[in-house]
Amino acid sequence: MIEATELTKRYGGRTAVDRLSFTVRPGRVTGFLGPNGAGKSTTMRLILGLDSPSAGRVTVGGKAYADLPVPLRAVGSLLDAKGVHGGRSAYHHLAGLAASNGIPRRRVAEVLDLVGLPEETARRRTKGFSLGMGQRLGIAAALIGDPEVLILDEPVNGLDTEGIRWIRGLMKSLAAEGRTVFLSSHLMSEMELTADHIVVIGQGRLIADTAMRDFIETNSRAHTLVRSPEPERLRTLLEAAGAHVRLDARGGWRVDGPDAPSIGDLARDHGVAVHELTPAHSSLEEVYTTLSRSSVEYRAEDRPQEATTTRQKETAR
Amino acid sequence: MTTTTLPLPATHTRRTGFREALAHEWIKFRSVRSTVWTTAATAVLPVVGAVFIAASGSLQPDDTVLGGSLTLTVVAQMLAAVVGALVASGEYSSGTIRTTFAAGPRRGTVLAAKATLVAGVMYILALASCTAAYLVGDAMLPEGRYAQGEPLPALFGIAASFAVAAVLGLAVGFLVRHSAGAVTTVIGLLLLPSLFGPLFGDAERWVAGLSPTAALEKLTQTSDAAAEAVGSLGPWPSLLLVAACTTALTLGALVLLRRRDA
Repeated sequence: MIEATELTKRYGGRTAVDRLSFTVRPGRVTGFLGPNGAGKSTTMRLILGLDSPSAGRVTVGGKAYADLPVPLRAVGSLLDAKGVHGGRSAYHHLAGLAASNGIPRRRVAEVLDLVGLPEETARRRTKGFSLGMGQRLGIAAALIGDPEVLILDEPVNGLDTEGIRWIRGLMKSLAAEGRTVFLSSHLMSEMELTADHIVVIGQGRLIADTAMRDFIETNSRAHTLVRSPEPERLRTLLEAAGAHVRLDARGGWRVDGPDAPSIGDLARDHGVAVHELTPAHSSLEEVYTTLSRSSVEYRAEDRPQEATTTRQKETAR
Repeated sequence: MTTTTLPLPATHTRRTGFREALAHEWIKFRSVRSTVWTTAATAVLPVVGAVFIAASGSLQPDDTVLGGSLTLTVVAQMLAAVVGALVASGEYSSGTIRTTFAAGPRRGTVLAAKATLVAGVMYILALASCTAAYLVGDAMLPEGRYAQGEPLPALFGIAASFAVAAVLGLAVGFLVRHSAGAVTTVIGLLLLPSLFGPLFGDAERWVAGLSPTAALEKLTQTSDAAAEAVGSLGPWPSLLLVAACTTALTLGALVLLRRRDA
């Protein structure tokens, strides 16, 4: 369990994390979403006690990170910046971490096996590792202490589809074992498939802390895709019934307002043939983009200077 | 239900402390080339120096066998300081400092473990290497031409001056947090006092006497360690002074280490 209370971090005049309060519970995968520069990585560093908060507090299992008796047995972490010395072998990296928390050396072979890094690869210096191998090493390091809580910053970065599927399965099974899994990602589609619960932030502030399904249902507008050989006639009918009709990118009409059964009935009553009738929800991607855009706009009025800085960063990127 | 992870047995749950941090630092120290090779060079250099001085017959008539044999210890001591600097700054350059602090969030313990490691390694290696250098020089130099010098207990002090230099480097590494910057700074700290000392006129011996190099030169009883150049403080008080300054700098580094974001 991770609990943040009014967590705030300022760097000079810039507020990276702004009175953030949320709880990450065990037994499920909690996604941490936010655009680049929203404060995700800063929040994770604050949880790990690497940066100290300007105000507020954050605890893991009720304790500040620095007070954990055996940190790696409690929390496993993978940060965005790798934190591996390129000149050191993966094996020694893991052996050092094991030694630092009194974990038996044989655990190194176990986690290497778990993440699918062969022993001979692990004996090589990590400088030559591919992004995917580096990521597997990072996961191995996070799992070395068999921790109750996992904090992973962008774990699927640089992985191929097979690797992504592997991480997704691993996260779900870790959560199913009753662990707390907290992972950030900018890949909304990935989060939609992996997370049970999400914490969304924008510009350091909490936007949402809710179940994934509720989040999509509350925030996404349901619409219906309709295709007909008489598109103009159908549109006139629908608009007369008060529906909002737009052209969909895939052809056909995207109808907001009446649900699929009502549209079907309406078409039958007027003798219009319907070739396709598909109820649809906005994807998390769309919902998220809408939400974070409105958050940025809100902030732009609120604090003109900061919003400008963020935009410049985004332009630079 | 099948578990993906292999659970660890619930043993080994003793609160982690200094011993674990030291074990971590030792594995890190010996698994990276830069620290291993610089340490090896530190150990080899005094012996190479003794062979070179004796074979070339370049020893000043007023020098001692001990001082002459240990001529290159001044350079070796600088390498010891570089090793200390790398042990701290290398973690920042490679980004591993975050991994280290996630594994050991009590930063004072991490600093203590690193200091113990570099001081211990340097003390043992310098003691062995400087003793060997003295024995080589003694065997190769012509008998009776030079004053012998007193190797004991000076050799223990010489080894200690290596340990002090390594800890000084470590403190600088934590303060500067950048390898190139830290190495340059610590070499400057060792070298500049004797380089700029003459500019200070009568105050030269105070300025130059502050450097660990001065304590080392006095301990090796070389003719370079004249009172007007490096101060009239005896070799042991000089070593103590340098150790005290290093301790103060290390405590300063600790205060900043605790306060700064990693």
